[in-house]
Amino acid sequence: MASADGGAYSYSLTVFSPSGKLVQIEHALAAVSQGTTSLGIKASNGIVIATEKKSPSILVDDSMLEKVAVVCPNIGIVYSGMGPDFRVLITKARKSAQAYWKMYGEYPPTRVLTQEVANVMQQATQSGGVRPYGVSLLVAGWDNHRGPTLYQVDPSGSFWAWKASAIGKNMVNAKTFLEKRYNDDISLEDAIHTALLTLKEGFEGQMTEKTIEIGVVTVPTPAELEAGHSGAATGRPKPTFRKLTEEEIRDYLAL
Amino acid sequence: MSIMEYNGGSVIAMVGKDCVAIASDLRLGNQALGISSNFQKIFPVTDRIYLGLPGLATDVTTLRELFRYRVNMYTIKEERDIEPETFAHLVSSTLYERRFGPFFIEPVMAGMSKTPSGGYKPFIAATDLIGCLNFAKDFVVAGTASSKLYGVAEGLWEPDLEPEDLFETISQTMLNAVDRDAYSGWGVIVHVMTKDKVITRTLKGRMD
Amino acid sequence: METSFAITGKGYVILAADTTSARSIVKMKSDEDKIKTLSPHLLMAYSGEPGDTIQFAEYIERNIRLYQIRNNYPLRPPAAASWIRRSLADSLRSRKPYAVNLLLGGYDTTTYTPHLYWVDYLGTMTELPFGAHGYGSYFALSLLDRYHDPEATLEEGLATLRRCIDEVSKRLVVSPGKYKVKVVDKDGIREVEL
Repeated sequence: MASADGGAYSYSLTVFSPSGKLVQIEHALAAVSQGTTSLGIKASNGIVIATEKKSPSILVDDSMLEKVAVVCPNIGIVYSGMGPDFRVLITKARKSAQAYWKMYGEYPPTRVLTQEVANVMQQATQSGGVRPYGVSLLVAGWDNHRGPTLYQVDPSGSFWAWKASAIGKNMVNAKTFLEKRYNDDISLEDAIHTALLTLKEGFEGQMTEKTIEIGVVTVPTPAELEAGHSGAATGRPKPTFRKLTEEEIRDYLAL
Repeated sequence: MSIMEYNGGSVIAMVGKDCVAIASDLRLGNQALGISSNFQKIFPVTDRIYLGLPGLATDVTTLRELFRYRVNMYTIKEERDIEPETFAHLVSSTLYERRFGPFFIEPVMAGMSKTPSGGYKPFIAATDLIGCLNFAKDFVVAGTASSKLYGVAEGLWEPDLEPEDLFETISQTMLNAVDRDAYSGWGVIVHVMTKDKVITRTLKGRMD
Repeated sequence: METSFAITGKGYVILAADTTSARSIVKMKSDEDKIKTLSPHLLMAYSGEPGDTIQFAEYIERNIRLYQIRNNYPLRPPAAASWIRRSLADSLRSRKPYAVNLLLGGYDTTTYTPHLYWVDYLGTMTELPFGAHGYGSYFALSLLDRYHDPEATLEEGLATLRRCIDEVSKRLVVSPGKYKVKVVDKDGIREVEL
């Protein structure tokens, strides 16, 4: 329908097609599946998230690339898809976590943080003048209420909890691989090795500490919990999410 | 004339052995004139948190409604009850939001908080009118009779009181302190909380 | 000076407000009705800063009416009182607060109970068996402490009100002359002559 103010092009890009699809979201999902593979596995005593890190040229200083990001001491996120979109989301997630800390004196539970990020992504599917975020996320964290949890968030803003999941280029193969290797009482060490094996499937080039990133969630022991609880007002509790150093990754790869 | 003393009223909270108690008077006044002898200043927040709001009566109602709103939103979002420590921080941040135009209330909280091992431990806290937190291990007081409450509580309180003894201690502290305060009194309400229940009693005291 | 009383009894609330409208030391009018009918079972006596009183009372009156038109039933006394209190509390922290004190008398037709709320310009609200605003309250409240009976019949309630008015006339230097008295009960609202 033509009108004085710009006609059909002034509509938001996210308009339902006659078949009931939002094509922009499907395109965003396509952008994700072109991105490098990332995966997450929940173990009995923690979670591992890992990703392939590919630099466009050997001349790029790859210490600048960061695909596994710490949001707050108990939550980390990895992505597949568009790097710049991820950076924006991480900034928002970190701000949200700090706002929560200011209000309640503690960091948000994984579920709440995930929901917050998912809401940001959903908004981009309904607002005028924007495009959906071209990323899928794996959010791993630990909290008092639900313990260790792993969530996947998609460009549509929908999110689910997973025992193990993969996103990006090789997600279909990787998921099949994980389905075969996964069981409920796998330990964190085993999960890290499974993660590396899964990444290795369809890995392009050499897999080294420079070309992958790993983040882990560790479940605090009862003693650590008790200490963290009493010292909540003064001392900081030990972080439950951390990124593995290059040395640590090298050691895992050597095994 | 101080705004904090316009309506009168006092609250105290005490820690016992595996229990806490919180008590307040029931007076609502306009300076020296008594208006009501049944003005509640203590409100349940969850099954395990009670909140006392002594100070300007209009803000008692406003804050009660504000905290009910914020705690309800928290409960729905997080799918769990708020813990006393977290609630204390919520109270503090809510009051500090109005740092330069405060609510004239000095909140007192009492509750039983979950320990990582699955047990419960007593928790009390208080803040000033702009949200400066005070986590005490023995007792906290606020309101027009606070100076008197400090004195009596200092003399009567001892560690590890059983629920019945804690009730007696907090009741006597309250009753005797408000008798020396013209702006507090006209009846007292006491809540004693253990890990599985709350006992509420209303005391008459001097009604003059 | 302005004075208003309210008394609850068995199934009713009586509201009484003086009828003088004064500017400074001058009586401008002596038949002013300062009790508004907000809904079929809700009365509001208002007093305070001239100008504010009428502005605020009309704002409340119209919004309570709007609620009734939108929903086909009126707000119950506790809900209406809560909303009115919030209006005053919000106004208190605005650039120009309303200086209006209220007595809200209502009959809840769903629970068959009378309700009386005492509200001041700060947004302080409490439910009471009897209440008063203005200089009259210093005389009437102690009298009501002695003579109020929550189980009293309307006739007994009106007799108690008479005592309050007489006491204020006798002891208060600046006592008002006439009062308007209204009653709310299960049958609705009506004015009574003392």
